[in-house]
Amino acid sequence: MKIVVTVKLVPDPNAVRRIDPATKRLVRTGVDTALNPFDEYAIEAALQLKERLGPDTTVTIFTMAPESMKESLRKALAMGADDAVVLSDPALEGSDVSVTSYAMAQALKKIGFDVILSGALSDDGNTGGVPGALAEHLGVPGLTNVRKIEEIGDGRIKAQRETDTGYQVVTGPLPALVTVTMAVGEPRYASLKGIMGAKKKTIDVLSAADVGIDRPLGSDSAKMEVVAIAAPKSREKARVVEAADGASGAQAIFDFLRERKLV
Amino acid sequence: MRDVIVFVEHSGGQTRKVTFELAAEARRLADALGGKAHAVVAGSGAAALAQQLQNHPLDKIHHTDDPDVDKYLLDPFVDYLEAVAKSVGPSVILVPNTMLGRDIAGRIAARLNAGLASDVTELRVENGRVNCVAPKLQGSTITTCAFKAGDYGVITVRPNAFSAAPKSTGAEVLTIEKPSGKSYKMAVESDVEEASGELGLEEAPVVVSGGRGLGGPQPFETLLKPLADALGGAVGASRAAADAGWVPYSLQIGQTGKIVSPQLYLAVGISGAIQHKVGMQTAGTIVAINRDATVPIGETADLLVVGDLFQIVPALTALVQKAKAAHA
Ligand SMILES: Cc1cc2nc3c(=O)[nH]c(=O)nc-3n(C[C@H](O)[C@H](O)[C@H](O)COP(=O)(O)OP(=O)(O)OC[C@H]3O[C@@H](n4cnc5c(N)ncnc54)[C@H](O)[C@@H]3O)c2cc1C
Ligand SMILES: Nc1ncnc2c1ncn2[C@@H]1O[C@H](COP(=O)(O)O)[C@@H](O)[C@H]1O
Repeated sequence: MKIVVTVKLVPDPNAVRRIDPATKRLVRTGVDTALNPFDEYAIEAALQLKERLGPDTTVTIFTMAPESMKESLRKALAMGADDAVVLSDPALEGSDVSVTSYAMAQALKKIGFDVILSGALSDDGNTGGVPGALAEHLGVPGLTNVRKIEEIGDGRIKAQRETDTGYQVVTGPLPALVTVTMAVGEPRYASLKGIMGAKKKTIDVLSAADVGIDRPLGSDSAKMEVVAIAAPKSREKARVVEAADGASGAQAIFDFLRERKLV
Repeated sequence: MRDVIVFVEHSGGQTRKVTFELAAEARRLADALGGKAHAVVAGSGAAALAQQLQNHPLDKIHHTDDPDVDKYLLDPFVDYLEAVAKSVGPSVILVPNTMLGRDIAGRIAARLNAGLASDVTELRVENGRVNCVAPKLQGSTITTCAFKAGDYGVITVRPNAFSAAPKSTGAEVLTIEKPSGKSYKMAVESDVEEASGELGLEEAPVVVSGGRGLGGPQPFETLLKPLADALGGAVGASRAAADAGWVPYSLQIGQTGKIVSPQLYLAVGISGAIQHKVGMQTAGTIVAINRDATVPIGETADLLVVGDLFQIVPALTALVQKAKAAHA
């Protein structure tokens, strides 16, 4: 089975991130690049499937990003993925959800897949729009928010997906796109052997033309533009009350809620 | 882009408060754009819900009780929404920012080749263009995006960001034709409720959340639930509590859980990691109970009470109950 994991390369989630006031885009230079934390769970889920299904199963990592960032994919290869592909083209800069998902779909059709695993959302801003749009462009079912893949094989998948109030059991045919939640399990650490081995694994680079992209791309075709950025309203510093005992702590909260007419 | 369409999320005809918030916002936007306000309701119970929606300021309510909507994952919903959107022409589609809403939004945006704005908390019409205000980068930046005029635009809207304004404007109720040539494959075999009554966590006026400090599942039942009940609210949790298996993930608040904006948020035994704050920092009032005076939640809270939660919570519940009894 061929599994492709889509990962987004994002500015280090632990670094201070800012938006360039002139271009109104996220500053990505001078900041370390990392795998979107949610995508590490998708990689983990893919590697679990590989263990379950045996050596005929391969895991390919896919990203759409500037070529200069491709080395950031080594971590995924060190965790145990087999190879990686980057879709990279200056024409893709400034893409919004609609352009990104279209371009990704073109590349994924070329790469081929039985299952695509994606993170449920990105740490840097599109908040989960890409996977649904990607499934549409590929014309495959999208199983979102999966916490457990119960069965997979013979062209079918059965999975538990989280809902707002619990979960659903869903079954259907492959190929399909699956987004996973953190409940699939903590991403594994790369072993030393994995890190060494990753250096020899291939990272292919595809251009827009390579994947047959035939329409204008990037910010020119984006459907939205950022017109303003601002800092959030800051809250006043918290009132801090050291409670001598339960009763006085409770009274302090009660009085505060009274003051704000909340009780 | 003149008309505004609301996607109505519901379960067997029971909807959430956010639907009415979106209806009020759709009216306001449609008036500013010189268009009409629509709602799309699909699935079992849709007809009754369509009637109920007539008490809200809409122009057209499109509904279908096609059983496929409940039998198959997502696609039937998207098909019906697409059918209405195409019949109306370039329009603004408002979807609640919930798990289902986010799924629908990405798909309908791809079908209509539309822009997508996520987690929007404020909407304005300027020079005929719809502007969407949304917090980004874990709440550290507020961005305003504008759709290109003349296209479709899809917006996921944060629950509790807008107020409902019930008012009958004599909305017309119409049935939607089943789009032809569709067959569905991803079947829903079963639907399991793990946290009944939590449907409204995003819209509860008060959320009492517990974290690792609670030490186990019982205090959620014996301490937090009575306090939440007394305050007329719902119980939430940090990811640490959900990961430990103390509560279902459906109660988790934060970047990977639910985003809530209640009038009052009580963080009990929660340190306030950035990923947690993302889910609650727009609450009206934030009160934290923690035994550590230096916790990060102190930077976001209005009041931080330093002390033992096992002592403070029961005493607080008693005070609130007493005040309520005196009032009744
Ligand atoms: C990619 C990613 C996504 C994440 N998404 C989320 C998310 O959506 N939501 C989320 O919540 N977290 C999320 N996290 C996890 C987050 O970083 C924190 O680990 C988590 O929020 C900590 O939960 P906590 O505050 O309950 O636990 P802790 O940080 O352990 O805090 C427990 C607190 O309880 C206090 N305490 C203990 N006993 C008592 C007592 N008797 N009385 C009073 N106070 C007491 C302690 O002083 C402490 O401050 C995410 C992490 C990552 C990496
Ligand atoms: N540029 C990209 N390259 C590869 N995968 C992506 C890209 N953008 C988004 N994704 C995938 O879509 C998921 C959700 O991202 P988003 O919709 O941007 O929040 C991520 O977790 C990735 O799996």
